[in-house]
Amino acid sequence: MFPSPQPRWHALPSDAFAWREWDGEIVVFNQKTGSTHLLGDLAGEVFRHLVAADRGATVDALAAGLADDSVAPCDEAWTRSVAEVLSEFARLGLAQPDTP
Amino acid sequence: MSTAPVPWIKAALQSPQDLVACTLPQWEHLIHQARRANLLSRVAENLREHGLMPRVPPSPRAHLAAALVMAGAQKEAVEREVALLRTPLAKVDVDLVLLKGAAYLIAGLPAARGRVFSDIDILVPRHKLAVVEGALMLDGWSTTHHNPYDQRYYRQWMHELPPLQHNARRTVLDVHHAILPLTARLKPDSTKLLAASQPIAGEDRLRVLCPTDMVLHSATHLFHNEDLSQGLRDLADLDSLLRHFGQEPSFWDALTHRAVELDLARPLYYGLRYATRVLGTPVPAEARRQADMGRPSRLGIRLMDALYDRALQPVAPGGVGSRTPLSRQALYMRAHWLRMPPLLLAWHLSAKALRREENPRPGAA
Amino acid sequence: MIVADLSYRELEQRLAGPGLRLRTGPLVSLIRSRLPAVVRGISLLYAEYPTDDAGGFADFRVQVDRPRNLRRWLQPQAHFFSDGSVPFKPLPLDQAFPMLEWGLNWCVSSHCHQYLMFHAAVVEKSGRALILPAPPGSGKSTLCAGLVNRGWRLLSDELALIETGSGRVVPLPRPVSLKNASIDVIRVFAPGVAISRPVHDTAKGSVAHMRAPSDSVGRALETARPGWIVIPRYEAGLAAALIPLSRARGLMRMADNAFNYSVHGRGGYQVLAQIIDQCSCYEFGYGDLEEAAAVFNDLAA
Repeated sequence: MFPSPQPRWHALPSDAFAWREWDGEIVVFNQKTGSTHLLGDLAGEVFRHLVAADRGATVDALAAGLADDSVAPCDEAWTRSVAEVLSEFARLGLAQPDTP
Repeated sequence: MSTAPVPWIKAALQSPQDLVACTLPQWEHLIHQARRANLLSRVAENLREHGLMPRVPPSPRAHLAAALVMAGAQKEAVEREVALLRTPLAKVDVDLVLLKGAAYLIAGLPAARGRVFSDIDILVPRHKLAVVEGALMLDGWSTTHHNPYDQRYYRQWMHELPPLQHNARRTVLDVHHAILPLTARLKPDSTKLLAASQPIAGEDRLRVLCPTDMVLHSATHLFHNEDLSQGLRDLADLDSLLRHFGQEPSFWDALTHRAVELDLARPLYYGLRYATRVLGTPVPAEARRQADMGRPSRLGIRLMDALYDRALQPVAPGGVGSRTPLSRQALYMRAHWLRMPPLLLAWHLSAKALRREENPRPGAA
Repeated sequence: MIVADLSYRELEQRLAGPGLRLRTGPLVSLIRSRLPAVVRGISLLYAEYPTDDAGGFADFRVQVDRPRNLRRWLQPQAHFFSDGSVPFKPLPLDQAFPMLEWGLNWCVSSHCHQYLMFHAAVVEKSGRALILPAPPGSGKSTLCAGLVNRGWRLLSDELALIETGSGRVVPLPRPVSLKNASIDVIRVFAPGVAISRPVHDTAKGSVAHMRAPSDSVGRALETARPGWIVIPRYEAGLAAALIPLSRARGLMRMADNAFNYSVHGRGGYQVLAQIIDQCSCYEFGYGDLEEAAAVFNDLAA
């Protein structure tokens, strides 16, 4: 059985949100929900990478990229953390995966 | 320009350019009266559309600008809420039939311009009420009015579920299965209303009442609503709907016939009577004549006129607060959803005893 | 013309009749009342405030009075009315002046959406505004009362009004409310400053109001650039200390204390970001007012 390919995750279209960074912390305003979010460390990094990824990014790619940046081991626990952040983003409407 | 209630509302809604000549005391009166009638943002929107805001003196203009900010925020909140309601209703295969303000907004009607929104009202078939309630509760909506008397009041005597409130977003939803209470003398058939409902262009599974029914609902709501403090605002809605739909010549005949069919000839009579008297709504003579079939006794008209005069000078507690997204903590991210404050403010929390109880009776939207 | 230009009798008559048009910062309130407590309070605490003649525009029309009907004899209570709204339950007559103050705050925070509004005290020194956002009970009003008696200008003790275009703070200098122990603290801290007779047994305990300094009233039309956001916390015995707060967290704390942040949507977020850009943010604990004032005077130096 082949594993299904991972979906690519995308940040919101650029007119649907606004964000700023102060001293390494990121605050995001989501136009669609009217919510304002302060992102914790990992979430902030995931967000930053996602916004920079024009064509979106898979969980694995994000986890690998982040591990490089932060000199963390890119193990299963790490990847799982990144995946959890992404699903939280989905729940809050800050990002979404490609629909299969 | 006199400060009597009728002239100011007519000018403000129909000929805003007449307001430019107002003195500061007249502006003061206008702003305060419009606010009491829940029409301030409507007046402001009218002035803005006519490019007249720069000609309003700074002090009153600030209030008009403030009203527009609030109306804009409520409009966005209603749009969000309607988008989010589709999912639970689709799950039980029920179309979302919007009523009143939400309907005007999503259908792009002029009646939505500058409108103040509070709750969302929807109409569902009576036999689907239970499944709809179930689907909504799974979606995070909870009933309000927990005491058994109130529950019975809403379910058995009125025409709706007790208002539902969303646990996270704190928005309020009124689910109706009829447009008048079961105990009312008039019995407009909801099945007919739903059958004649129309889809909204470009929206999947979102519907509104057809034009004649929308007008009749507005007239009915106006004259059966216990809360007369909204009378002027509701009349302005009716006027707007009539002016918009009345452009189509066949509308008027259809309206008067439909009124008879739905047993709503009486409310239509009153609706046209007051809309023409107070707001100068252009109604063809033939339509007035046909609507006259619904007229009550002369005593009935006198009583209604007296009641209506009271409604034009609302002294009841001010407008219902608006409820929209609430702040909430996310798991490992600090998320911040912020609520529009109710008119009675959260900062009185330390002095809760100060605050009047809110009165969330139906029909406030 | 200022309120003190009217004799007490004239003030009484104006309040009982056509109403007093009181100017506070950018806003004019038309106030009517036949209650002695209200006349006394206004006479003491609003003496130096400008009053308009009829012929102008009043932003709010408020009334604090006993009920008009037979109930007036059965219930010696004060009611607050504003433009057809009755937002509060009736209160005992002796609480009529605090009721007026709470009512005026209610009017502003309910309606003035031309501003971004926060529940915060604001004072100013050296051209920079110190914003103190906090829910009730944090000691913000006491700290505010203290600072304005040590060289700071009062912009507001309850409601921070922000101009959405410029991001500047608009003054709304009104009497500073004091509760319970704070009343005596300020009497000692600023001997001779005008404080109303305390009213007891309110929902907030004992309440009194301190008159705003003349300079603050005189400069009520002078806006200020935000400089610091400080979240205060009073605790007996705590040594005064400023603990830096990240600006992102400062933003969220401000949003937490906003009246109408979400009403302004994206625009509100952008103004708040603009404010944060200009501010240093701190948490501040204190137990002694003199110590606290010294810390802030150092900050502004």
